[in-house]
Amino acid sequence: MKRLLPVALLCALLVSWKPPVSLSKIKKAKKGMELVSGAAHKINEEEEYHIGRAVAANILGQYTLWKNGALTRYVNLVGGALVLRCQRPETYGGYHFALLDTEEANAFSAPGGIIFLTRGIVEMAGDEDELAAVLAHEIQHIVARDPLKAIRSQRLKALGTFTAGEAVGSRGGALGVFQDSVMDISGTLLQKGYSRGQEKNADLGALELLALTGYDPGALRDMLEKIRAVEKKKIKAFSAHPSAARRMAYVAGNAGPAADSNGREARGARFRQALARR
Amino acid sequence: MKKMAWLLVLLAAAALLPAGKALVVQVLRTNLLAQPDFLSAGLCSLQKGNRLELLETQGSWYRVRNAGGVKGFVHRSAVVESKVTLSGIAPGPKGASQDELALAAKGFDEGNEKKLRNSKGFNFADLGWVMEQDVALPALSRFLRDGRLK
Repeated sequence: MKRLLPVALLCALLVSWKPPVSLSKIKKAKKGMELVSGAAHKINEEEEYHIGRAVAANILGQYTLWKNGALTRYVNLVGGALVLRCQRPETYGGYHFALLDTEEANAFSAPGGIIFLTRGIVEMAGDEDELAAVLAHEIQHIVARDPLKAIRSQRLKALGTFTAGEAVGSRGGALGVFQDSVMDISGTLLQKGYSRGQEKNADLGALELLALTGYDPGALRDMLEKIRAVEKKKIKAFSAHPSAARRMAYVAGNAGPAADSNGREARGARFRQALARR
Repeated sequence: MKKMAWLLVLLAAAALLPAGKALVVQVLRTNLLAQPDFLSAGLCSLQKGNRLELLETQGSWYRVRNAGGVKGFVHRSAVVESKVTLSGIAPGPKGASQDELALAAKGFDEGNEKKLRNSKGFNFADLGWVMEQDVALPALSRFLRDGRLK
């Protein structure tokens, strides 16, 4: 028995011991790093929150905030319902939804989950499910951390070279990188737009999120139909997005079965009620 | 005697097994929940930097124990794996490692955000109003029920 004891202890040690990092894990991590853009994966939740606030403040510097408390609360309820079922329900400062007072039909998501809808897009939506379709698309950009991927990689490389003194310092230091990164993101949200791949993923993710929440995934197709009609008239709508016709092509094939139509009608009634409070 | 020896071997083996994985709350605040569902009862609030011991993974949820010994659920998006392995319960409610704290001081921080507040083209005054817009969970729960949502 005495001879068995050290052997058993050695076996236990071998079973419980794990190498600090296995080769397969290193390979997997390297592959992951190649897939994710260099800019996005290095920024943590708290940094995303601060850059998101600055981007949102920049959007509010260019558009007028629509301070309609009742309608904003309603949009926050619709957005909140979707957030509960998305893959990234918790962000550093939480999700916040707000309205911009412009006829232009558009929607923007700042890093960390500050999402803006314009009065134009809210008025274009025919019911709650169509409004949810727009919000679901924007939430998917936050889930994928797409806004952060708009930051040029050179900015983060520069940040890594600063000393502690420079990091808290002047325009030429970390402050400059911060401001330039905000402009990279704002430029993408307001003018350049995301890549077609990012937009397609946001649309496909939105279909899934709508279905998971109980909204009709077909509402995204219905909303795109309306945007396409507006685009035909050469009116500015979702100018930083691919054309609605292009998006409809893949959305139509992936929408899945239609949801409970009675539910959609019931939600449509409270949508009209909320809109009447304008 | 034989049974005693094997018991000792088992105890020794258990002591050598890796300790429970440590998690750190990475969001400003969240709740420790009774069930893996945001609409379930909140057991206590958690704040950024709080350490948790991972007990079990259930899909996108972690069953954890906080420093006070309360067991409950957090969503995986609210926490990050700590680089420091816990041996049992963490000594205090706060205490992210130096590495974790250093991650938060790279330039995208509150200090630089404040410096932008008076810059042309930024409207932080209205942002304050936007950040106040929030809905309480009971209201959201009613909204889901009334709208036949999940």
